[in-house]
Amino acid sequence: MNFDINTIVYILEIIVGGLLVGIGVHFVPVGGAPAAMAQAAGIGTGTVQLAAGSGLTGLLAAGLMMSVTDNLWLILASGAVGAGIMMGSTMLTGSWIYAYAVGAPFASAKVNYDPITGFSQPPYVAPGTVGQGIPTVCFTSGLIGGMMGGLGGAMIYYPLYLINGNAALSAMFAIGIFLVNAVIASWNIQGTIEGFHDPKFKKWPFAFKACLIASVLLALASVLITGGA
Amino acid sequence: MDAFSMGLIAAMGALATVAGASEDIESDIGSQSNPNSQVQLAAQVGNPHRIYNKAISGEPPANALWAATAAIVAYTLITAFQMSALLALVAGASVAALFNGVLSMSAYFGRNSSQKRFNQWVYLDIIRYTTPSIMAHAWITSFCIATISYIMVYMLPTPHPFPMAVIALIWGLAVGAIGSSVGDIHYGGEREFQNRQFGCGLNTMLSGQIVRKAEAGLRNSIDNAWFCTKFGGPATGMGFGLTVFLDNWRTTVFDPVTQAPYAIAMGLFFIIVMVVYNNYIEKSARRKYGPYPEYKGDIAA
Amino acid sequence: MSLGGAAGGAPSAFDPKKLRMYGLVGSIVGIYLGAILNSALNTNVFSFIGAVAAIFAVVMGANAVRRVCAYGIGTGVPSIGMLALGMGIIAVMFGLSMAETLGSILVGPIIILVYAGVFGYIIGVIANKVIKFNIPVMEEGNADLSMAGAMAILGWSFAISGTLGYVDILNNVLMSGYIAIIFIAGGLAILHPFNANLGPDEQQDRTLVNAIMVSGMAMIATGIGAIATQGLASGLLQLVIGFAIWFYFFKMYYRLVKRDAAAVVGTGLLPPTVQ
Repeated sequence: MNFDINTIVYILEIIVGGLLVGIGVHFVPVGGAPAAMAQAAGIGTGTVQLAAGSGLTGLLAAGLMMSVTDNLWLILASGAVGAGIMMGSTMLTGSWIYAYAVGAPFASAKVNYDPITGFSQPPYVAPGTVGQGIPTVCFTSGLIGGMMGGLGGAMIYYPLYLINGNAALSAMFAIGIFLVNAVIASWNIQGTIEGFHDPKFKKWPFAFKACLIASVLLALASVLITGGA
Repeated sequence: MDAFSMGLIAAMGALATVAGASEDIESDIGSQSNPNSQVQLAAQVGNPHRIYNKAISGEPPANALWAATAAIVAYTLITAFQMSALLALVAGASVAALFNGVLSMSAYFGRNSSQKRFNQWVYLDIIRYTTPSIMAHAWITSFCIATISYIMVYMLPTPHPFPMAVIALIWGLAVGAIGSSVGDIHYGGEREFQNRQFGCGLNTMLSGQIVRKAEAGLRNSIDNAWFCTKFGGPATGMGFGLTVFLDNWRTTVFDPVTQAPYAIAMGLFFIIVMVVYNNYIEKSARRKYGPYPEYKGDIAA
Repeated sequence: MSLGGAAGGAPSAFDPKKLRMYGLVGSIVGIYLGAILNSALNTNVFSFIGAVAAIFAVVMGANAVRRVCAYGIGTGVPSIGMLALGMGIIAVMFGLSMAETLGSILVGPIIILVYAGVFGYIIGVIANKVIKFNIPVMEEGNADLSMAGAMAILGWSFAISGTLGYVDILNNVLMSGYIAIIFIAGGLAILHPFNANLGPDEQQDRTLVNAIMVSGMAMIATGIGAIATQGLASGLLQLVIGFAIWFYFFKMYYRLVKRDAAAVVGTGLLPPTVQ
């Protein structure tokens, strides 16, 4: 392969994609196992899993779009929207369970007032818990995170496909880069976070640095791979 | 867009709904994923139990394995032996169910024998009658997801460029993520702890005090499936069905070659509707349930 | 199979250094042996050696998961298995593609191992220095995991394609989608053993036997893949050997469960509470 200005652009795109995934994970409101017991606000699952589920759904949408067009913006938007739909329907159906099966009002224990709707939170936090359900601020934050993940996945897939022209190879590679960045970011938040209003969110620069180093290494390896034509 | 592809999209949505529901029930029978932490804790706080303890790696990777297995077996049978697609998918799902049975059993054995000091026994009758039920639900999940992948690659007017098994892997991860985010709450938040006040999350003091006795005799994991089928399973199915249906509907109604911006705008519209709907649920829950009477702070409700 | 065969040892009978050596040497030698036999005799029946070689790597990876996760990383065991495979797949494709560019497919596994080891070590350093985990075995554990993931993917990819040639692996493993099952079954083989045996009375030999058992199952899946790519004989051979490994080690696992459990009973009420 020949090393030219395009290669540098591809490397930058992969790095930005990796960073988007890493930062996007911080927006996703995951409460881990406690949230599944309605013991903490957020979605009741693990960070990596949810980020992977939504981001890779976005990758599917982006891959489909990439097979018919090479317009970068359409592909990125497809990825983001695909991931956003997955994240949105997950949180929405999760809300049904919190509201209609557990029968609890949504509240976050990390803030006194919801930054978006202005609703008061502490009176609605059940005793012995740290909030429950998915308040609007968590929902919005989750959508931002999911869409960033999808955008990142598409951003990684796009240059890979242009380099090697092989959809299957690019897809597996994008999955690999996605997972590495998502795991590093989830280590940074140590399992649970409620979204951008959570004090833990302030730790994102650590993940930014870590994902930057990892993405550079991954990007350098990725651009050297040929499609085996 | 033609009627045939619209029908395929509808079939995919229906299959996804079934897959989501069976995925959730499968994980509830086995106490997989997040509610598993309480099952694990129960023995440690002195409550040995007769609940299945199937810790296979969290739901997304596990379901990705079943779906990918079904897809590769089906793909092999279709390409190497020219078998009809439906039979091949059935065979693939059967192999996936066998894999599921092996991993479920090894997890039940392993987790329980690692709790020797808490006197948690390994009950072989639980293995015998619960594992087939788990495998049956895994069969449904993997069959549906492999079929969705087959439709996406071989039947839709805009075929997906990824190989069938990779698509099955991704949908498997997605259905697992949805199952553990949605349906598990019904199991973990409601069914595992029925010995507490209704209308609130689990008080941390009660951690590990899971319900171990049933109306008659001891509670087993099939009872949990009976309960979760009523709401947790269908809600999970709805979540996954919406994901698959809305995502594919917009690229089928609007041709991705000529009308891609409309497809994207349609997706954004769905997302905004979801935000509004969630906000409505939040407001109505606050209005109807009201603040907790135990609250003593000075922030007005 | 001398690794898991020594059942009944003390809790941490196998030293990680020794396991790493067995894992790396076993998988590399196995993959080379399979590749050379296949190309020298112009056949593909020896592909199963690659699949068996991957098991050595998986045992090493499962032990690394066990060491790292014993510290509690806050995100559960599955994430680290996914990380191992994420790092592994990139190392494998990078190494094979480089080997193809350099003109000698046999240097591929070495490039893969080096890249995976270095990359895993750097991830470990990042985790300790940037994210401030301060887990002493993090660097080592991540390097092990990354190499194990890469070797497992390489071994099973070779088992399906029958050669180490980049183009063959691309066509037979990537484009056909078999990579999906290698990826996820490899991930589960590495992360499931510790996850399934998690608890205060976890025993190393039981965990590692579980790893071999799940790898045997993965070999059944690669055998199914090999039927399509290499024909019935080679595929069935792999499938049968995979089934034999799975069966033997499942029996052994059950024996160890009976040894370790508080009681294995046919049926019964709740046990008397200890406290």
